[in-house]
Amino acid sequence: MALVSFARSSIARLALLHGVLLAVSMVAVLGGVYLGTSRLIAAEGDQLIALEAQGLAEEFRDRDLDAFVTAVVDRAEDPWVRGGVYELRGPRGDFLAGNVVVLPDLSVQAGGWAEFDVAVARGDANASRRIRAKVQELGGGFRLLVGHDVQDRRTFRAVMLRSLAWAVLVTLLFGALGGWWLGRRISRTAQAISASAGRIAAGNLGERLPVSGSGDEIDALVMRFNELLGRVESLTTTLRAVLDSTAHDLRGHLNRIRGAAQDARKAAASPPEATATDAVLAEIDRLSETLQGLLRIALAESGTAPLEDVDLSAVAVDLAEFYQPVAETEPLSVAVDPGLVVRGHRQLLAQALSNLLDNALKYGRGTAVSLSVRRVGARARLEVCDRGPGIAAEHRELATQRFRRLPGSSGLPGSGLGLSLVAAVARLHHAELVLADAAPGLRVVLDIPLAEGHAPAAPAAPPARAPRA
Amino acid sequence: MKILLVEDDRRASEYLAKGLRELGHVVEQAFDGEAGLKAAETASYDVLVLDRMLPRLDGLEIVTRLRASGSSVPILILSALDEVDERIQGLRAGGDDYLAKPYHLEELAARLDALARRQGEAGFVGKLKIADLELDARSRRVTRAGRKIELTAREFQLLEFLMRHAGQVVTRTMILEGVWDYHFDPKTNVIDVHISRLRQAIDKGFERQLLHTVRGAGYTLTEDP
Repeated sequence: MALVSFARSSIARLALLHGVLLAVSMVAVLGGVYLGTSRLIAAEGDQLIALEAQGLAEEFRDRDLDAFVTAVVDRAEDPWVRGGVYELRGPRGDFLAGNVVVLPDLSVQAGGWAEFDVAVARGDANASRRIRAKVQELGGGFRLLVGHDVQDRRTFRAVMLRSLAWAVLVTLLFGALGGWWLGRRISRTAQAISASAGRIAAGNLGERLPVSGSGDEIDALVMRFNELLGRVESLTTTLRAVLDSTAHDLRGHLNRIRGAAQDARKAAASPPEATATDAVLAEIDRLSETLQGLLRIALAESGTAPLEDVDLSAVAVDLAEFYQPVAETEPLSVAVDPGLVVRGHRQLLAQALSNLLDNALKYGRGTAVSLSVRRVGARARLEVCDRGPGIAAEHRELATQRFRRLPGSSGLPGSGLGLSLVAAVARLHHAELVLADAAPGLRVVLDIPLAEGHAPAAPAAPPARAPRA
Repeated sequence: MKILLVEDDRRASEYLAKGLRELGHVVEQAFDGEAGLKAAETASYDVLVLDRMLPRLDGLEIVTRLRASGSSVPILILSALDEVDERIQGLRAGGDDYLAKPYHLEELAARLDALARRQGEAGFVGKLKIADLELDARSRRVTRAGRKIELTAREFQLLEFLMRHAGQVVTRTMILEGVWDYHFDPKTNVIDVHISRLRQAIDKGFERQLLHTVRGAGYTLTEDP
């Protein structure tokens, strides 16, 4: 499977959608956890700071100033209170105790919160640590800053964010991979079904769509279709059997009638008797010709005629050469691209082309007749053109119907089956048949798909419609 | 010519046997497949005419069995089924020719004649000769009374076909099948036009005509009509 066609397929879109949806839900879940956790941690931390600040404020009220300053100094220097930050200022802003000097730089209202970085000597290096602090008004102009190290909290948040990003990325990747795998599975099934359906449409009515055996919905659908195909096959087989037995029966009768008439012809004692039996024989021949025409149409329509690769160019050249001597006034003009192979029935194609040439030579009434076979995209375009009176636009539809003889043709021999056979053969070959105006004359165009392996990857054929005169 | 006719349709069989006898042939009849196969295995015939659909033993089955037992008797299959695909099946089974019902007696007789004679011929003949008309299949050269005759490729094939069946009647459908390998039904008299062109080429200017029309049947190439 080519990458381009894959990207264009609904499977690719499904895979992408699958991945994106997974990633979005992942972001929603992890994002929620992240926000909740970091808020909870922040709230708990703040509460601790607030409680400590409140405790110190109570101590300030209960003790004298010296004892309080000593208590603050103790706390600031206590190695067990890790990450605690304190700063006590007097009413005139004078530094009384503490382990940081930040208050003059902070523009924080009393009771407000502040965050700042503090350089801490750690081994040899100077590390910067984040501090979150509350500024507490103690009364009498005294102010106290109580802060905690929240560097770990930040680190935790960063780690969590990074994990979140990774989780989303991995989800996106696995989601897309999963989607792709799923899609490929569906796409393969679809392709197998499509290929098989193509072969069935091409006339292999015994074939069935592939069942994977997994018992899933696709299998159920395929089995339904197979039931349908079985029905089509049995109908077609019945039709063919009816056709064969009818043909057998009618031809048997005709054969006996012909035998009897031939006997009578030999035994004819007088010229009137001979004339009469000759007329009977001629009628029998016409009848069997019509029957044969109908049977051939039925064979083509039944879709049971065995198909093979046929060199359409060779058939066209053969028939052109065959009919060449009959072209009376002007020679048949022939233009055939060599080697155009179609999937078809050689004898039925020959019969159809013979009918077309026969019509062109007969109804063209001695005008120039041309035959061409050209490659147009993935199709072979066969064209037979005459310069006779043509068929009026309103009659063209009728022309391919059985036993339909057009006005003005009554003087000419014909059964009225010629073009209907061409139409039936066209359907058998999945070809498009168009009757058009050659201004003057009739232009019959037959667009037949080239056989697989013979069709080039060329731009699509333009439609076979002829410009109206 | 001794002919075995295996046909279950008794009236059709009678008409055909009568017609063939009138043409001077010896005809033996069988009315079902088993009797037909037995007759074909016990007696010797110049040619067999088998109906495609027979009671007891199918026509194609008889052909298959006879060929399997090493018989090479020429067999013509008659069928009332659709001919386009039946023909292929019949020939594949080992039949030599095929004719759809209803047939013309003349057509059937001409084909039987051709089948029986083909059997008598010994292999490929590179040079064919009738009176002073000579055809060399290898050099693709045709002369009449020593004078070279120019023919198109298809005219050459047509003449070769007629010369291989010299002295026999060949019908229009035999010509279309044998020379063009098509089984369609040309509505117009196209074959007649091809024949008259060939006649122009080989007979014009010669006192003795070689290519003759056989009324109601077809053509024959012969020195003594």
